Amino acid sequence: MSALDLPTPQHGGPLFTVTTEPRLFSPLDERETRLLAGALTYQTLVHPGVDVRVTVTRANGPTPPSLTDQATQRVEWPDHREVVGTLGVRSTGQDPTTTTTKDVVVDLGGPVDQLSGLVRLPGRLNDVRNAIRARAPVAFDALRQRQTDRLENRRLSRPLPRIGAFERPEHTGASGQPPAVLFGMHWLELGGAERWAAETVRMARDAGLQPIVVTDRESAHPDIVSDVFDGALVIPLTHPMTSDDESTLLRTLFDRYDIRGVHVHHCTWLYQRLPWIRAQFPGTQLVDSLHVLEWRTGGFVDIALRLSNVIDEHHVISPQLRDYLVDRQNLSKTKVTLATLADLTVPAAEEPPAADHVDGPLTVAFVGRFTQQKRPYLFLRLARTLHRRLGNRVRFVMHGDGELGDEIRRDHARLGLQSVVEMRTPATPVSQTLEEADVLVICSDNEGVTLTSFEADAHGVLVVSADVGSQASVVVDDLLVPRHPGPLLARTADLVAGLVEDPARLASLRSAQHAKVAAFAALPRARDWTRDLYERWNS
Amino acid sequence: MTLDVAAVVVTFNRADKLGRVLDDVLAQERPVDRVVVVDNASTDHTPEVLARYADHPKVEIMVLPENTGGAGGFATGMARAYEQGADAIWIMDDDCYPHPGAVGALLDGHAAAEDRMGMRLPFACSVVQWSNGDICEMNNAEPTWDWAKLLVHGQQNVLVNSCSFVSVLFPRWAITQFGLPLREYFIWFDDQEYTRRLIAAGPGVQVLDSTVTHDLGVNRGVNFGDVNDGNMWKFEYGVRNEASYRWHREDPFAAARFAQRLWRGLAGGNVPWRLRKRLAKKFVEGIRFDPKPTFPRTVL
Repeated sequence: MSALDLPTPQHGGPLFTVTTEPRLFSPLDERETRLLAGALTYQTLVHPGVDVRVTVTRANGPTPPSLTDQATQRVEWPDHREVVGTLGVRSTGQDPTTTTTKDVVVDLGGPVDQLSGLVRLPGRLNDVRNAIRARAPVAFDALRQRQTDRLENRRLSRPLPRIGAFERPEHTGASGQPPAVLFGMHWLELGGAERWAAETVRMARDAGLQPIVVTDRESAHPDIVSDVFDGALVIPLTHPMTSDDESTLLRTLFDRYDIRGVHVHHCTWLYQRLPWIRAQFPGTQLVDSLHVLEWRTGGFVDIALRLSNVIDEHHVISPQLRDYLVDRQNLSKTKVTLATLADLTVPAAEEPPAADHVDGPLTVAFVGRFTQQKRPYLFLRLARTLHRRLGNRVRFVMHGDGELGDEIRRDHARLGLQSVVEMRTPATPVSQTLEEADVLVICSDNEGVTLTSFEADAHGVLVVSADVGSQASVVVDDLLVPRHPGPLLARTADLVAGLVEDPARLASLRSAQHAKVAAFAALPRARDWTRDLYERWNS
Repeated sequence: MTLDVAAVVVTFNRADKLGRVLDDVLAQERPVDRVVVVDNASTDHTPEVLARYADHPKVEIMVLPENTGGAGGFATGMARAYEQGADAIWIMDDDCYPHPGAVGALLDGHAAAEDRMGMRLPFACSVVQWSNGDICEMNNAEPTWDWAKLLVHGQQNVLVNSCSFVSVLFPRWAITQFGLPLREYFIWFDDQEYTRRLIAAGPGVQVLDSTVTHDLGVNRGVNFGDVNDGNMWKFEYGVRNEASYRWHREDPFAAARFAQRLWRGLAGGNVPWRLRKRLAKKFVEGIRFDPKPTFPRTVL
């Protein structure tokens, strides 16, 4: 048995006390401890004043945690789980309201490395679809892009329904509780949008506000251990919860903290509850940060639009989103704030190193998660084409991993590219790959503005990108290629071959690229907007 | 909120007038934030005139490798201004002299009209005068059926369906939603097609307080009775483009009515049969000609 060191929020003291000392049969690592803390916070908040007796289990295999859903109310569990401990807890701040004890079973899920695989939907049709995608990814992608075209046209031609606006009642005033910000995040896997969300959590803490973070997607939450979340109240939600519990959770959070603002990142659950929060807690400011326009599903931008009448301000990270919300969807210009993430991963004003590619092969790199959105299989086909055309005058590095990892590695072998494309896992720093690269290829079928583009520019790497999202803001016009896979491969191959034949052009294109990145970086910064916002919230 | 306003001037072999146009644009009391000059591969001494503005901090000169016509030039210049983040784009020909206060009046009139109408309006145009102060016959905006809706409330604004590309201001959102003028039209009817495309969102507005002079040789509108060997090339574009518009954007009956108007004009002017035949071919070509709008990229 080992001690359990549960984290506590930075402000306002712990939300629960341990009433029965933990008995641990197996030690918990830092991630599991923080997941358990999130579950205990939830269970005590939705059962105020009640003794909660907790059984903690761990799964063997690719099972996501079960921390807050209805399954936690049942005292039975599947065979592949083992019990790792028990403890008793009760919420602070209330007298015991009942003599009965509430039993819950919290499962911390399986190991992180078993939960990053591709989620395969059940059913024969999905099996066929997956088989086609794995065997003929380019043909599959071509069909997918045609479908995207149709969905894009449909989306632009149909008005979105909007939730009704209502008069905002008077501000109810400070409650005397610690000032806080309620954050909604997708999950605690910190890439792209979540990286920015985590940064705002840090900024809230720095501004003297108590960060409260809820997430709504199944995940092992590997980055819950990040120091960004030190002192934050983190509740990774697992669904479905009961509707009683959902409202109790929010109500007790608002009772225990003076929640000055809600900042929604990518969190459908919290978005859907904004109208209720606006009605019940009208003094709370509601804002969101939007990253990418999902033509296929509408994504968070559509949800934000639907709920825009109860949201005070939309923060967008790209000019494309600003134009979509203001020009296309007729939101007031004063309600939409463009503030970029140009300096999130690199100092934006930094001059890139001088072009130093003189001799040797041109190095072409892919950096990113191996997902359908990033289309790593296109990079493999590009490498095959260029290797046939140019032989050893060009070399390839593919850096990343993800849900398509196994398929990509099989593809890599099947296409006979073992000696042509060097595969690197995330264990290698991205900066090392960018140091070696001359050209970075971004094949994504959808993006906001890729943070990798800024990193590449800072390393003096030329970016060739699919013309999606706001990539046109940071990529030279001549190096933007069509989204459809066939034209993308043909055009990119021609561009790279042209650079091999005329290396001097690299320097002029790098210079043009840096001018573009610098112009983009001169736009207002997200950090400044957020700092001002949180200072207002804490004033 | 201050708007970022860009002016776009398209020029082709009008070196003698271009300097005055640019000076008048840059002298506006409500200054424009930038001026994009599109040189359609001029062969006169336009480059020398433009050289005087090369170091002007607000002026960007785009020299195209070939003449793309007014339509191509405006599409190129508007796309550039849009990419640079302009909130409103004010466009004109290279023989259009904006009077003092022209762009300020356009912005104010457009804002007042939107406020009164309670909706977004997709363009605002000036009153175009000829050199002697008369109305310029080639550039009359076409009023809507309820054209006096704002006049009766004391505004000097008239609701319109279409106007020419001689001092017209487009808000950014209209370009985001409807795209750019059709480059393929090259010349003539590009302005009519574009402004009529935009009124799907609501009427345009002609701001009577905003005036410009169009420095044409003669003050005469488009009349098919005037067709001759010298001006035939323009009419060929005009007939093809309007036939295309009427057939594809309206309906075959509208195209038939245009054919009737064309026929009557040619007959009334006793235009030689060989020219009539060439225009008839252009009409038929227009039925097969159906270019689609392109959209500018959002960059900043």
